[in-house]
Amino acid sequence: MTRRQFVNDPQDHVREGLAGFELANARLVRWNRDPSYVVRATPARASKVGLLSGGGSGHEPLHTGFVGEGMLDAAVPGAIFSSPTVEQVEAATRAVDAGAGVLHIVKNYTGDKLNFSIAAELVADDGIEVATVVVADDLATDSDDPGLPGRRGTAAVVTVEKVCGAAAERGASLAELKALGERVADGSRSMALALAAPAHPGEGQPSFELLDGEVEFGVGIHGERGIGRTSFASADELAASLTTPVADALDLVAGDEVIAIVNGLGATHPIELNVVFGAAAGVLERRGVEVARALVGPYVTALDMAGCSVTLTRADAEILDLWDAPVRTPGLTW
Amino acid sequence: MSGLDAAGARRWAEAFLDAAERDAEALGDLDRKAGDGDFGTNLVTSVRASRARLGDGPLALPADAFSALSAAFMATGGTSGPLFGMWYRELARAAGDGPEIATDGLAAGLAAGLAVVRRLGGAEVGDKTMVDAMAPAAEAVAAAAESGADVVAALTAAARAARAGAEETASLVARRGRASYVGEVARGIVDPGAATLALFLESGAAAVADPNPVGEHRRSED
Repeated sequence: MTRRQFVNDPQDHVREGLAGFELANARLVRWNRDPSYVVRATPARASKVGLLSGGGSGHEPLHTGFVGEGMLDAAVPGAIFSSPTVEQVEAATRAVDAGAGVLHIVKNYTGDKLNFSIAAELVADDGIEVATVVVADDLATDSDDPGLPGRRGTAAVVTVEKVCGAAAERGASLAELKALGERVADGSRSMALALAAPAHPGEGQPSFELLDGEVEFGVGIHGERGIGRTSFASADELAASLTTPVADALDLVAGDEVIAIVNGLGATHPIELNVVFGAAAGVLERRGVEVARALVGPYVTALDMAGCSVTLTRADAEILDLWDAPVRTPGLTW
Repeated sequence: MSGLDAAGARRWAEAFLDAAERDAEALGDLDRKAGDGDFGTNLVTSVRASRARLGDGPLALPADAFSALSAAFMATGGTSGPLFGMWYRELARAAGDGPEIATDGLAAGLAAGLAVVRRLGGAEVGDKTMVDAMAPAAEAVAAAAESGADVVAALTAAARAARAGAEETASLVARRGRASYVGEVARGIVDPGAATLALFLESGAAAVADPNPVGEHRRSED
């Protein structure tokens, strides 16, 4: 069946979305049109390390929705599911450098890593120091083979951006932020499943078909196939199928604390996500693991894919204190 | 006259852009068979941006032609665009602010360009990528510089080596780049990045040799 969407010319979709986003959040963000990047409406104080992330569009509110006080200084949106260009990353890096260097928070994809690393080399010629945290949390593509790209970067990037953002506001150095970001990223794993594939803007046809009795297990956030088909089941069973391997991968035992994200992939209703969260929390409780903080909602989407992901991050007092620090962005505020 | 001046570098860049635009669809077809299919459209985007950056006026330095290509390719998405951008950037850096590029300058640029693409892209010879054309081209020009050959002879040798390297990618299974996701399916297909690199050097060899001798200080008006 054809998927209907709110689309004008698909070629204009990302830019029209950014224009509306800027208009709706004018007090918080500003969209630089060419090269395209989103910055805070009010720049951070001088001497703060700049925080920059970005990647393909289609994952909103990631990353543009997390630009603002307590999180990112800028975000670089590429085309749908495509890396931003070197030119965009370079310009945004220069825009957010206030003399203390810039932290690049990059999800583990070949194109993103390449374009961010080239931009970092170009600005280094002008004395701008860049450090990079690569977020690679998706268990589905975990592999020991050094010839493969390894775990994809998914919803754990939100936790990294939140925690590092708070630390940057408090005056952490570039080296401290890199170490902190890597600690959070290393302590995070995710798993996702899809109930229905997404359709690209204006294309109408989903990127894969599922039978009534199937779910796509181990999907990423680009509408690609997962690692296998499993049977459709109750919310409790599906939630457990995501939560248990993540908890196992982090070797979580009784007494451990985590930050949990139950993330909607674009077309799944908030009630469903809360049902999944309740079930995931139950799985963790039975292991004696405490969910110290949680986030439930669509934060890292894959266009209009139906489904969800479960992300767990090992927490400690420092990480929880930074998590609780004030944040004021279009996508996350407390 | 043994070096490549600003007018010659512009002819080279323009000849390449013409050839790339002409072959973009065929190169895109190679990518559709072995990669994710965006190579052709990205190449056309890069070519058009390159023309805009080159402009119509005379270039001050030969390095300016490579800098224009570098900036345009780096403003294009994907992975091969920015890698080509960094490769051109090394050609421009090796040319520096000199009025002419001699064979040893070209050799230095090709060696540095190969090094940066290997480092950033993580590919080695035999991985079925643009490196399979870049590496033999760098070797050929290094040998030409060693023997005291002029730029035309060096570029001709580089073009021949790059084309041979590109043709050999057909027999390979990819280990890097998008084609690595499809494995055996890509056997028999020439890597479009390697083919584009060969096209660039062939355009250079043709443009700086007859019928527009280097150093004549006029632009081709086609």
